[in-house]
Amino acid sequence: MQESAKVFLIKTQNADGGWALQPQRRSNTEATALALLALANLRDRSLTNQVRRGIEWLLQRQTPGGGFRLTSTVDQPSWASGLAVLALNVFGAQRTAAVRGAEWLLRQKGRGLGLLGLLQYWLYPEQFIVKLDPTLKGWSWTAGSFSWVEPTAYALIVLKKFRKHLSQDQVIARISEGERMIYDRMCVGGGWNYGNSKVFGEELWPYPDTTALALIALQDHPDHPANQLSLQALEKMLEENQSGLALGWSCICFALYGRDIAPWLARLEKSYAKTRFLGETKSVALALLAASGGADVFRV
Amino acid sequence: MPALNRRQFLLGSVAASAALIQGCRQEAPRWEKEAYRKPRRSQVAVLAAKSYDMPLREELIRGIKLFGLDITNKRVVLKPNLVEYDPQGVINTHPSLIYAAIEAFKSLGAREVVVAEGPGHRRDNEYLVTASGFYSILRDTKTSYVDLNNDDVRKVKLKSHFTELGSLYLPETVLGADLLVSMPKLKTHHWAGVTLSMKNMFGIVPGAIYGWPKNVLHWAGLQESILDINSSLAVPQFAIVDGIVGMEGNGPIQGRAKHVGVLILGNDWVAVDATAARLMNVDPKKIPYLQSAGDFLGNIEPQSIEQIGDRLDRFQQDFQLVPIFQPLKSVAG
Repeated sequence: MQESAKVFLIKTQNADGGWALQPQRRSNTEATALALLALANLRDRSLTNQVRRGIEWLLQRQTPGGGFRLTSTVDQPSWASGLAVLALNVFGAQRTAAVRGAEWLLRQKGRGLGLLGLLQYWLYPEQFIVKLDPTLKGWSWTAGSFSWVEPTAYALIVLKKFRKHLSQDQVIARISEGERMIYDRMCVGGGWNYGNSKVFGEELWPYPDTTALALIALQDHPDHPANQLSLQALEKMLEENQSGLALGWSCICFALYGRDIAPWLARLEKSYAKTRFLGETKSVALALLAASGGADVFRV
Repeated sequence: MPALNRRQFLLGSVAASAALIQGCRQEAPRWEKEAYRKPRRSQVAVLAAKSYDMPLREELIRGIKLFGLDITNKRVVLKPNLVEYDPQGVINTHPSLIYAAIEAFKSLGAREVVVAEGPGHRRDNEYLVTASGFYSILRDTKTSYVDLNNDDVRKVKLKSHFTELGSLYLPETVLGADLLVSMPKLKTHHWAGVTLSMKNMFGIVPGAIYGWPKNVLHWAGLQESILDINSSLAVPQFAIVDGIVGMEGNGPIQGRAKHVGVLILGNDWVAVDATAARLMNVDPKKIPYLQSAGDFLGNIEPQSIEQIGDRLDRFQQDFQLVPIFQPLKSVAG
């Protein structure tokens, strides 16, 4: 699988140096960051040119404020900035750009509910439509919207990795609030979906990719009961879902929690042989990163 | 102070939407001239289809021909409703119907048929497409699938202004279609009342920009967003509603299966949705976005909709709604 995934990434690199999420599309920050992480981790000198062009594409997406736009046709900085920062951080020469990206992330915050919504929550929390604490603000997908698990997970990983470069008071406060937000959104039996555990009184089920990401973001609390419960839940979810995205993030997660990932990698290879992950760049890149022992790029 | 419970809160939200939209109706229109595309009359076909095992391709060809659509050399984009996967549930447009639609449009001369969807909750497209059974039909029919969440996008100025969004990034695959076919499941919905051809367009809003869930639309107003998205899609449209087995109750995900045995087709999505709502014993005029769409996007009045195919009353059933939406019922059920 490793060789095939590597060839896939080399072949699908766009002429502008970036990667798209699916074939024959415009380059995208998420896909480019993950492809760069995967290729860089191979430490293969023959890939120097591909990597250099990928870095250049990513740097061109950085706005003066430090965030990264999702594509060349989208104006505003995006949630994928966290992944761009993690990718650039791998290359020592790009540390300044990475730190600027981390500073931008530190300034971001999900939107609150507004006075009426908060009043309702404070007065009658048990009658709230969704079961969550709306006062906890993590990070949003797009500016001016609510906080959700995945963008918050990326931001937490970045802030934890860059904490010594950032304003101490602010970074400690944001990490703490982001962690509390993620724990608050956990599904009843452990694990996470996009960020709602219960709606209209009905329990919602967790997803393996978001569960693995949340656990990666919370990796510095390995013995927390919620982490332990969610690790168990993740293993159970993977009995049913063996997509590249689910297994890719899960392998990285399990490696960071010190677990033996050999059986999961075997499943990943098997899934790849079956569907080639439908040609989705992010899944192929994650699989290559996981299979080549690249979990450490997410270690905090 | 009395407790503001979930029911009151939601009723308040729907009432607020209705009041806001009604307010807009009384003032200057909230749509631009070019968004007006309401035909004088619309046709909606109701076709009996007992099960997913019957020859659906032939039934669809018969139905499409009723509208005299010229498919020759067209790029047809099928937009199913693929939201989530539950092995026990009936959440998604059935793959057999997608298969039949692919084959029907190909045999009617389409240059290309593409299946395109942008699921609103899950990013794991590979899982959804394989687990739901879509993958095997795409493979068997050699049909392209586009994940609209990750498609190339273009910034589109909205042609109506029920929300304050002003513009939205929308996927090139949809904007470049010669014919966009909305293929929703016949379902009730715990936020919108019903989810049909128009609400199905939430799936074209790209998650890579707006996230999972596409919460920006909820903040902007769900009913209002449905109107602004639909008014801004300047591509020829057709609808095929999967009402063979629908969903009632806590839709769009956790509701109960309801066998109806029907397909609803038409090229005016508003008229199709109004007809489908009536089939569920829901009054389309009580759904704010449908009522407002009836002013400029299509027809909701029965006298402006010519019913073709089979008789609607043969299939009419009382779909249960979440308690908050009981007032939407045409007749208490």
